[in-house]
Amino acid sequence: MKKFLIFIVVYCCFNFFLFQTVFAGTVVEKFKIEGIRTIASTKALQSELLKKLDVKIIDLNLKDTDSGWPVLKVEYDPDIISKNKIESAIGEIEDPAGHNYKVHKGPLITNAAPLEEESNAMMKFGDMTMDLKQVKNPTVDFDSSISRGKDMFAKNCAKCHGLSGNGYGVVAHGFTTWPKQLWVWHKADSSADSYLFWILENGKSDMPPWGLILSEDERWDLINYIKTIKKPEES
Amino acid sequence: MAEKIRPPRLRISRRIKKNKVFKVKVKFDHPSFTGLAIADDTSDPVFNRAIPVTFIRNMLVYYGDELVSRLRLSSGIADEPLFTFKLKAIKEAPIKVVFIDNFGKRWEASKKIKFKG
Repeated sequence: MKKFLIFIVVYCCFNFFLFQTVFAGTVVEKFKIEGIRTIASTKALQSELLKKLDVKIIDLNLKDTDSGWPVLKVEYDPDIISKNKIESAIGEIEDPAGHNYKVHKGPLITNAAPLEEESNAMMKFGDMTMDLKQVKNPTVDFDSSISRGKDMFAKNCAKCHGLSGNGYGVVAHGFTTWPKQLWVWHKADSSADSYLFWILENGKSDMPPWGLILSEDERWDLINYIKTIKKPEES
Repeated sequence: MAEKIRPPRLRISRRIKKNKVFKVKVKFDHPSFTGLAIADDTSDPVFNRAIPVTFIRNMLVYYGDELVSRLRLSSGIADEPLFTFKLKAIKEAPIKVVFIDNFGKRWEASKKIKFKG
């Protein structure tokens, strides 16, 4: 009987530790990191974080992140370490140039609301005025126009708007605002033509005035193609 | 943006004659930066965000009470920029240059125009 009890106790202890070690409730958290300026920065962050905390770094993704911020994926045991502790540990680490890293929490791009003074200036010198002329789409053969528009889009627009029109083109990170997601114009009717034609002709924000570069027919081809761009989930 | 930014400095010609064009220079030590960096040089250059973008988004020029010019700037602007522009001296009044950055912070510099000769 005594041996049986000892066996039960040992068996329970073994199972408990096995559960704790193998099936422990680790979580994976993603942190957007500010302050990664060089390749040395990435190495310094990872090695210092491992020295400071008992965590496992799964990945430090520099490219292809939705926001453009590098994403550090960390696995940790929430019973031992809290998320706040990891964030403060990251904030204490210095890169080789002496700058501190930080977990990014703010908006993607800070652009405060215009001051009254700026709004007045914009009213006085344009920027908000849009002289929309009623225009009519002259396209007859829509299929060939859309095909030409697609080629032109890949050549001229995809760098900023993305090949799928999602607004995450390769150079879009340098702009003050993200380029428009073009599927908002999907199946837009003729009432949108005047606006789209004006925007293409005159440009807006960081977009150049394509009226100086493309002919009127080419702009209509682009407009016809833009109206066919679907949101990826729907296509 | 924790660092303190010096107010802009404005310089104008010493001899300004009525109805003549004169030059205005404005220097502003603003740490404008796209916030982008190349952190991976193993493939095609791909930029990632390194720090939050900061830039002067508007420069407004007042001559007296009148707003005479507005420059709309973007994240491509250099840090510590120097602006030079010309104005026609039509009245004895202060020149004021206002800078506003993307955080909505505002700085200004002004100097009074006095005709000589």
